[in-house]
Amino acid sequence: MTSPALEMDSVSVRFGAETILQNMTLQVGRGERFVIVGPSGSGKTTLLRVIAGFVTPEGGEIMIAGLSATAVPPEKRDAVYMHQTPILFPHLTVLENVAFPLRVRRLSGGETRERVGAALDAMQMGRFENRMPRTLSGGQKHRVALARAIVARPSLLLLDEPFSALDPALRRDVRLALLAAHSQYEPGVVLVTHDFGDAAGIADRIGVLIEGELTQVASPAELFMRPASLAIARFLNIANEVHGHSDGGGTFCSTLGNFRTRDTIAAGPAIAVFSPAAVTIGLKGRTAARVIEVRTYPEHTTLMLGITGGRLEAACPAGSSFAAGDETTVDLDVDRLAVFPLPAGQRVE
Amino acid sequence: MNAMRSLPRLGLAALLVFATLLPLAFLVALSVSSDWFYPNLAPRRWTGANWDLLRRSGAVIFSSLRVSAALALATGAVSSISGLFAGRKIARLDGWRGRVAVACAFLPVAVPPLALSIGLQYSLLKMGLGGRFSGVLFAHVVPALGYTTLFFVGIFAVFDWLVEDEARSLGASPRDVIMRVTLPLLRRPLVEAFALGFLVSWAQVPLTLLIGQGLVRTLPLELMSYVSAGQDHLAATAGLVLTIPPLALLVVTALAVRRLGAVIA
Repeated sequence: MTSPALEMDSVSVRFGAETILQNMTLQVGRGERFVIVGPSGSGKTTLLRVIAGFVTPEGGEIMIAGLSATAVPPEKRDAVYMHQTPILFPHLTVLENVAFPLRVRRLSGGETRERVGAALDAMQMGRFENRMPRTLSGGQKHRVALARAIVARPSLLLLDEPFSALDPALRRDVRLALLAAHSQYEPGVVLVTHDFGDAAGIADRIGVLIEGELTQVASPAELFMRPASLAIARFLNIANEVHGHSDGGGTFCSTLGNFRTRDTIAAGPAIAVFSPAAVTIGLKGRTAARVIEVRTYPEHTTLMLGITGGRLEAACPAGSSFAAGDETTVDLDVDRLAVFPLPAGQRVE
Repeated sequence: MNAMRSLPRLGLAALLVFATLLPLAFLVALSVSSDWFYPNLAPRRWTGANWDLLRRSGAVIFSSLRVSAALALATGAVSSISGLFAGRKIARLDGWRGRVAVACAFLPVAVPPLALSIGLQYSLLKMGLGGRFSGVLFAHVVPALGYTTLFFVGIFAVFDWLVEDEARSLGASPRDVIMRVTLPLLRRPLVEAFALGFLVSWAQVPLTLLIGQGLVRTLPLELMSYVSAGQDHLAATAGLVLTIPPLALLVVTALAVRRLGAVIA
């Protein structure tokens, strides 16, 4: 059986008195794309740097491709760490940059040339091989950095916010380049991002890192539909929160109606959390609603709806004919509803 | 208003002329004249005799020039490379360790050369290096290393360390990181540090005199002997010879720096 690309067992990191990562246990399979999301300062970059070997853990064990890496220096780990902004060696051409990992591994000239050519072609950068990094655009630099990261075929790619500094068009371009790079030989990928769209578009699984702890690991669909806690739901910026009561038997009662929920929580005040996509509009819904505002985006339209005692955000396909002031009805897709007990100290609205 | 604005510029130009060009002009004039006494504004007689005399003592001048060049080149090489590694190490130290290390690097620069010479003389003579080329070289490297270390502390303060991390993550050993990334990136400051070390050694008198014990004869020492013997015209002529190598070095350095460009990460 092939060992996973990454195994972390109870890894903790402290900087002085501050705990940055706490008992982190994680497994990333070969070929798996694992994305970590978390608020600023939650330890995302530290996590990547500890896997890469630039930060020494206080405790725990790290295995990369089945080999213990805990006390191994970065250059001897079977992992490549790519920084947020691509760092190309400014004194080397594109070709020399991509050949760098092979030259330090003392590969023969012929094999180096062959693998560099393949990596550059995969990134559509073959015709730039004699250019110096300073003459490349931001997207081209990202492509070269990706080609250089995959050319030595590490078992694990560690990518720190690879799209954060890019405009939307370039972001899509680099995302596709990353997927192309991944398809070359399918390494395990651990990618850190702030952007849930990037996370959903790339990840096989997403891990939510909050205050140094992995609070939930799930597929994108499961995470966004069924966040494990109210804190995670709020971090994921799931737009709708409706207050109500749980009857303790699996029913959530609110101004939107009574809904059978998948999870049963104790009787008492509760909050239902759901995304705009969970709101169905105009199909003989249970609750009357009025369109307050229509926001049109390239791929969808968002409606801000007024209901008795509150507001809802609903998503509908682009080109929707709704206009502000329209009357309609709404209902909820209960499969996309997550219900949590009301946090202590918070009153039912 | 414009005149007011150009005053500082004029002042700086005058300072430049008085500080550098005028002394050089005097040197040239002294080297090609024989009688020039106060209060005459110009020499009474122009002659090539001083250059003839210098040419006739060519063996001594050539030998001292060779020793000076060897010392300065070696000092430049040793101090620039050592300064790079020392500066790199110091720049990576945090807190009080970093401050203490910078203070240590300042010491050979801050201590007056004569005091430094006396201190070094004692230790180098004990080591049996008095009167030897290697002893004088060691003595020259001490202040030069102070300058180059401080120079590189400044360079590494703006160096992007992530570039070294990136290289290591791509599989480069610490040696590969230095040889394939750090040194090539710092080619330009290395050339500048070499020039700095060369110049510190080239003009060195007290250290050469005390450690070399008169057995290691450099061009500045020959020049000093002309000055102390009252041979002003000959001293000026030798002074001009002394001026040529560093000026040539500066030109070469400027050209090299322009060619290498700014490739600090």
